[in-house]
Amino acid sequence: MYIAEIRNKLVQGDKKIADVTNDVLKSVEGKMTRGWMFGFAISFVFLMLMVWALYNTVTVGIGTWGVNKTVFWAWDITNFVFWVGIGHAGTLISAILLLFRQKWRMAINRSAEAMTIFAVICAAIYPLFHMGRVWLAYWVLPLPNAFGSLWVNFNSPLLWDVFAISTYFSVSLLFWYLGLIPDIATIRDRAKSKVSKAVYGFFSMGWNGSTRTWHRYEIVALILAGISTPLVLSVHTIVSFDFATSVIPGWHTTIFPPYFVAGAIFSGFGMVLTLLIIARKILNLESYITVNHLDAMTKVIMLTGSMVGLAYLTEFFIAQYSGVQYEQYAFLNRATGPFAWAYWTMMFCNLVAPQVFWFKWSRTTPWFIFMMSIVVNIGMWFERFVIIVTSLHRDYLPSSWVLYMPTFTEVALFLGTLGLFFTCFFLFVRYLPIINMAEVKSIINDRE
Amino acid sequence: MSLLSNKMGMKQQYWKGIEELENSAEFQKDKQNEFFEGLPLEQAIDEGQSLNTNRRDFLKIFGFSLGAVTLAACNKAPIKYAVPYVEKPEQITPSSALYYASAVLVNNQVIPAIVKTREGRPIKFEPNKNTQLVSGNLLAHAHSSLLSLYDINRIENPLERISNKLVSTSWEKVDAKIIKGLNEAANTGKKIVVLTNTDNSTLHAKALEVLKQKYANVEHVVFDAISYEGILEANEKSFGKRVIPNYKFSKAEVIASFNCDFLGTWLESNKYAEDYAKHKTPDRKGHMNQHFQFESNLSMTGSNADYRLPIKSSREGLHLIKLHNEIAKLAGWKQLPIKDELEVAGGMIKNSASALWKNKGKSLVVSGSNDVSNQILVNAINNMLGNYGKTIDLTNHSNFTKYDSNKFHQLVDEINGEKVGALIVQNANPTYANIKGYDFTKLLAKVNLKVAINTHLDETNTNFDFVCPDNHYLESWNVYEPMNKSYVFLQPTISRVFNTRQAYETLLSWSGEDVSEKNGFTKSYLDLKKYWIKSDFNQAIERGFLENEAKSIPMSFSVNYEKEAQKIANRVKINDNGLELNLYQKVGPRDGCDAPTPWLHETPDPVSKICWDNYVTISKMLAEEKSISNGDVLKVSSGKKSVKLPAYVQPGQTNGTIGIALGYGRNLTTKTQNDLNNLGENLYPFVGVSNNSENYTILNVQIEKTGKTQKLAQTQTHHSIEARDIVREASIGEYKKDPKVRNEHKHNLVSLWRDHDYSEGHHWAMAIDLNKCNGCHACVVSCSIENNVPIVGKDEIIRRREMTWLRIDRYYSFASGEEYLTEEKKIDKTSKTNKTQSHYENVRVAYQPMLCQHCDNAPCETVCPVLATTHSSEGLNQMTYNRCVGTKYCANNCPYKVRRFNWFKYYDNDKFDFYFNNDLGKMVINPDVTVRSRGVMEKCSFCVQRIQETKLTAKRESRKLKSNEVQTACAQTCPTGAIVFGDLNDKNSEISKLYKDERSYHALEELDVKPSIMYMTKIRNVEENKKDQHHG
Repeated sequence: MYIAEIRNKLVQGDKKIADVTNDVLKSVEGKMTRGWMFGFAISFVFLMLMVWALYNTVTVGIGTWGVNKTVFWAWDITNFVFWVGIGHAGTLISAILLLFRQKWRMAINRSAEAMTIFAVICAAIYPLFHMGRVWLAYWVLPLPNAFGSLWVNFNSPLLWDVFAISTYFSVSLLFWYLGLIPDIATIRDRAKSKVSKAVYGFFSMGWNGSTRTWHRYEIVALILAGISTPLVLSVHTIVSFDFATSVIPGWHTTIFPPYFVAGAIFSGFGMVLTLLIIARKILNLESYITVNHLDAMTKVIMLTGSMVGLAYLTEFFIAQYSGVQYEQYAFLNRATGPFAWAYWTMMFCNLVAPQVFWFKWSRTTPWFIFMMSIVVNIGMWFERFVIIVTSLHRDYLPSSWVLYMPTFTEVALFLGTLGLFFTCFFLFVRYLPIINMAEVKSIINDRE
Repeated sequence: MSLLSNKMGMKQQYWKGIEELENSAEFQKDKQNEFFEGLPLEQAIDEGQSLNTNRRDFLKIFGFSLGAVTLAACNKAPIKYAVPYVEKPEQITPSSALYYASAVLVNNQVIPAIVKTREGRPIKFEPNKNTQLVSGNLLAHAHSSLLSLYDINRIENPLERISNKLVSTSWEKVDAKIIKGLNEAANTGKKIVVLTNTDNSTLHAKALEVLKQKYANVEHVVFDAISYEGILEANEKSFGKRVIPNYKFSKAEVIASFNCDFLGTWLESNKYAEDYAKHKTPDRKGHMNQHFQFESNLSMTGSNADYRLPIKSSREGLHLIKLHNEIAKLAGWKQLPIKDELEVAGGMIKNSASALWKNKGKSLVVSGSNDVSNQILVNAINNMLGNYGKTIDLTNHSNFTKYDSNKFHQLVDEINGEKVGALIVQNANPTYANIKGYDFTKLLAKVNLKVAINTHLDETNTNFDFVCPDNHYLESWNVYEPMNKSYVFLQPTISRVFNTRQAYETLLSWSGEDVSEKNGFTKSYLDLKKYWIKSDFNQAIERGFLENEAKSIPMSFSVNYEKEAQKIANRVKINDNGLELNLYQKVGPRDGCDAPTPWLHETPDPVSKICWDNYVTISKMLAEEKSISNGDVLKVSSGKKSVKLPAYVQPGQTNGTIGIALGYGRNLTTKTQNDLNNLGENLYPFVGVSNNSENYTILNVQIEKTGKTQKLAQTQTHHSIEARDIVREASIGEYKKDPKVRNEHKHNLVSLWRDHDYSEGHHWAMAIDLNKCNGCHACVVSCSIENNVPIVGKDEIIRRREMTWLRIDRYYSFASGEEYLTEEKKIDKTSKTNKTQSHYENVRVAYQPMLCQHCDNAPCETVCPVLATTHSSEGLNQMTYNRCVGTKYCANNCPYKVRRFNWFKYYDNDKFDFYFNNDLGKMVINPDVTVRSRGVMEKCSFCVQRIQETKLTAKRESRKLKSNEVQTACAQTCPTGAIVFGDLNDKNSEISKLYKDERSYHALEELDVKPSIMYMTKIRNVEENKKDQHHG
C-alpha cells in the first residue's frame, strides 16, 4: 500500500482490488440509470441547439452574430479561450503530477483528461466557425496546393494557434487512450455481449497484462507526460499571443502568457471540480474521489486565482504607469465603462471568491466547493469576455466606439458547446471507466 | 449675344430659335408661314423618300410589316447573359471605359458631369472640372442619382387608368386619348395647365411654346418643393430683378451666414463648397477667410464656421437689424430706428460687423431664411458693404428656381373653380410637398384630364388618368441654362432601358408633331442640333457646357428697407418662449422629391451621423428638462398637425428650438421591399406661410413623449475625441507664430521591421487637408459606387455594420468657459452642474475622413494566417478577396478600424433588396471591381483598379505616368480638393509637396505603423490659444 506522508489514505472505505473493478464498472456494465438518461437527454438537446446555431451561421453568415464593425471577435473567441483554458487542468493532472509522482492524481486523471479532450473539441469549433468562409478552413494548414506558391503566414498568431491546438489535441488524445488500454482490456474480459467484446477487444489492442505490455505502457506514459508538460505552458501562451502581439490597447501586454496559463489552470480545476463532484455523488465513487482530492484541488484554485488576481492588478498598474493614454483609457474603461459590470464580476469571481479556500471548512464541504467551482467558471468566462470585448469596443479612434450585444445564435452556440461537452462526458461515463482502475489498484491496501 | 429675346424688347420669355433673335429677312419670311418649323411631311420629301406607294410596294411593305409584327409579338427574350457583340460598335472595346460629357439632373439642379460608361452602361459620374461658372462638382446626392437610371421602380410603359387601375398601354393609344382630351379642354374654354418643377431646359421651353401655339389657354406653372422666394422677391424689390444671384464665396474674405447651409443644401452648394474652401487654408502669411454662422440647428455649414452663435431662427431678423446697425455705425450710415433689445453673447454680432466692414467688397452676408423682409435686410447689409458686383453677381444670375407660389396658389384656386380642363404634371409633386394642406384628391377630381410625365410613380401621379414615362436624363438629349447665358448639354449615354419617351417629344407629339426617330436620330437630338447654331455643336457636346460670363452690371439698390425692418420688429416677440421648429434639408435626400435612391439614405447626415430616418433634433437643455433621451419617440404637434418621430439630442442645437428634416415620409408603391419604403415622416404639411412665402420656422410647437422608443441608425455614437491626438487643430494666431504648430513634437520611434524599399516605381500616398474637408460625404458615395460597396440598410446600421470603405469621423468639443472639453467624463460632469447646458449649445466640430491608411508596418498584414492581405511594392496594402477565409483578425488589429466584413451575402439576397438584388440594378456594378462574397474582409484599395488602368495606358503609350494622372474616386470628387492622391516618387507631384508641408502629420503616429495618409492640421480663424492637449 502506498502511503503519502502528508496525506490521508488515498482510497477510503477499505476497498479491495475486486471492489475497484466492480465499483468503477458499475456505470459501464449496469443498466442505464434514470439520472444518466435525464442528463444525457438534456445535454443532447443542447447539442442539437449547437447544430442549429452552426447551420444558421454557415448558411446565413457571421451576420447572425452580434459582432460588428469594431468588435469583430466576441463570444466566439471568448468561448474558444474559455474551453481551451478548461482543458489545461487535465494535462496538468495527467502529465505534471505524473512526473512529480503525485499519486493522488490517480483517481481523477482519467476524467480530467477526458474533460481536456472534450473541452478542446468544443474550443476548436469556435476558431473554425468564426471564419467567414469555413469551407476554406483547410487553407490555414500548410498543405501543398495547386494554387501556385500560396503558403500560410508564419507570422500570424492564428497560425501558431492552429499548430498549438492540434498538437495539444493529438497528444492529449493519445495520452488518454494509452491510459485507457488496460482498463478497456478489463471490460473486454468481463464483457458478456458479442458486440462489446468485439468493440472493447478492438480498442484494447491485444492487451494481455503481461510484464512486457505493462513495461511499454509505463514507458510510453512517461514519454507522453514529458511531451505534454511543455504543452501545459505553451498552448495557452500561444493563445495569449493572439492578443499580446496585436496593437490593441488592453491586448498588447507582455504579461499575458503567464497570466493566461495561470488562468487556464484555475478554470480547468474549476471545471474538474464541477464534473467530479457530480460524478462521485451520482456514481457512488466517494471512496475513490475523496474529500482529500477536493481539498488538494481547491488549494490549486486558490493559488492560481490569486495569481490571475495579481496579474489583473499588475496590468492595471502598468497601464497607468506607462503614460500611454490609450492603455490608460483601456483599463479605466474596463473598470468604469459600459462593461464595468463584466469587469467587476470577473474581479469578484476570480480574485475575491477563491480566498474563502483559506478556511478548511470550505475546502472540505463538497456542495460549497461545487458552488465555488461554478463561480470560478463564470469568472473565467468573464475574464476572456473582458479582455476581448472591452478592449475592442473602445480602441484608438472614438469614432468607431460601439457597444456589443450577443444574438440568440451566439448564445445558442455557447449553450450548444456546453451540450456537446456534457454529451461527450455522459457517453464517457457510460462506456468507459471514469477512474483509472489499473492505477488505483496500485495504491490500495488489498491485504487482510 | 443672347438666346433670350428679352433684349429685343419683346415680352417673350423663351427663345424660338436663334433666327428669331437675329430677325433676319429669311426669318421674317418664314414667320408668315403657318407651320414655322415646316411640316414633317415636307422633311420626308426633302430626304428623298417618296410618299407615293404603288400597289406592289404596298404589298411588299404589307408583307414585311406583317412579318415584323408577328416577330415582334413573340415575347422578347430576356437578356440575361453577357454575350459578345456579333457586330462590335466602333467605339466600344469590351473592358475599356468610354467617357461622355453630359450632366446630372438632381433636385432641380443641372450639374455638368463626365459619365463613365462600360459596354454601353453608365457606371459612374465624375465631376466636370473644366467649368468656370457652372460648377461640375458632384455631391453625395449627385453620385447617388446614377442609381435612379437602373431603378426597377421606374415606369416601364405608358400607363392609362382603366377601371381605377393604371395599366400599361402603348404610346399611340395614350397620345390619341390625351390629344382628344386636350382638344376637349381647349374647346370648352378651360385652361390647360402644365405644372413642372423648375426646368431650365431650353428644349422644354420650346415644347411649351409649341403647345401654347397649338392650344388656346395653355399655362405653365412652376412648383418647387423648397421655396427660395424670399430671395427672389427681395431681389425684385431691391433691384427689380427676380433672380437668384451668383454668390461668389471665392471672393469673400469674411462670411456671415444666418441659418444658411450654403455648404450642404442651400442652392448651388456644390459650387459654394469649392469656392469657400479656396481661402479656407491659410497661405504663407497666415491669411484665410473667416466665417461667422448664426443658426438654430447645427448645420454642416455651421459645423465649419470659425465662430458660431446658436440663435433662434425666429429672431434672425433682429440679429440682422443689429448687424446692420453695427455696420452702419462703422460706415457712418444711418442706423435703423429700431431699439434692439437683443442680448448677443460675446458680442459676436459686433465682432462680425467689424470683420465684415474691414473687408468691405470682399465680404458676404447670406441668409437661409425664406422671409422677404429678412432677405431685403441682407441685401441692404451687402449693399452697405459694397458687395454687389464683387461677391454677389446679379448679372450672371443663377436659374436655380423659378417658383412663384402666388401662381401656384392661383392654380389651386382655378382648379377649385373648375376652370382647369387639363393638367399636365411633369416631375412636380405637390401632393407630397403639400405646403398648405390642400386636399389634392378632391381638387384633382375637378380636372377632366390629368396627365403626368415622370420617370417614377409618386404621390401625385398615381391618381392620374395617364402617366407618360419620361426618359431618364442619361437617356436624353437636352440643353439647360442653369445660369444666365451659360448652357449645359445632356447627351444620352445609354439607349432607352424601357419604353419611355423624352418629355420634350411627348409634349411635341401632343401638339401634333411627328416625333418618331429619323434615321435612328431622335427628335430631341435633331431639334437640339437644328436650333443650336450658337457655336460648333459637336464641340459643345464634347465639352458638355458653354459658358458666357457677362460683365457684371451695377444695379441700384432701391427699397425702403426701414419699413421691412419695422415689419420684423413688429412680428418678432423677444419674450416669446415657445418652442420653435426649424425644418431643414439633409445632404442626402434634400427636398425628398426625387425618386429615392439607396445611397442617399445610407449616407449618414454629416453632423448627426444618422442614416435612413428623420428625427427630432433637440437641445440638451430640453432633453434634461423633459428627461428625453436619444431614440425616445416624441409627438411633435403644431395646431392640428402632428408627427411622431424619435428624438436625438444634438449638440449645437439652440435651446428652445428643435429641428426636423424635410424630404421624408414618402408614400410610394415599389417593387422592392426595402428600407426606402416608408422612411420617417413628411414634414411639408408643417411648412407655414408668412409674409407671402413659405416659412420653414414654425413657432409654438408642442412636444410630448409617447413612451415608445425607436433605434436610430447612427454610424458614430461616441462624439468626443477624448483628448486624443488624432485630429490636430490650432488657431490662426498659433499658426502664424509657428506653421508647425501641433506637429513640432515628433516621436522617436524604433522599428523592429525593415522598411519597404520604394526607390523604384511608384509610391502611392494621400494627403487630407482637415481645413478643407467640410464633411459633405461626396467622397463616401463616390467611393461606394466606384467600388461596388453594398447597401446594408437601416437594421444593419443599427447593428453597426455599415460597409463604406471611407467614412467621415466627426468630433465635437464642448465650450466650457475658456476651454473646450473633449473628454466624456468632463462633459458629463459639466452637464450635471450647468443648468443651461451652454456647453452643449456651443460646440466646435472637426471632421476627419478615415479610410485604410495603407500602413507600411501594417498590423493587419502580419496577423492574417493565409496571407490574404499583403503589401505591394508601390506601398498599397492589398486585400486578396479570393484568399480570405474570414478570421477577421486583421480588422481587430486595425487601429483605425477601417476594415469591413461581409457579414452576409449582400447581392441576390432578398433581405437586402437594393440594387444588387435585381438584374437592372446590377448594371451599375463597376466591372473592374470584384463584388465581394459573404465571409470576406474588404477595405479601401486606393482605387487600385484605377492605378492599374492608368499604368497600363501609360505603358501602351510608352510614356511615364503624369503627375496626378491617377485619381482615386474620393480625391477626384472632393469638391474642396481636401483629398490629394499621388505618387511620392514623383518629386513634382502635389502629394510630394504636401508631404513636406508643416501642417502634415500621421494619425496615431506613435504606433509607428507608418501610414501612407497624411492629415493636415486644422487651422481655425479664431483669436485664442487652445491648450496643447498632446499627451507628450
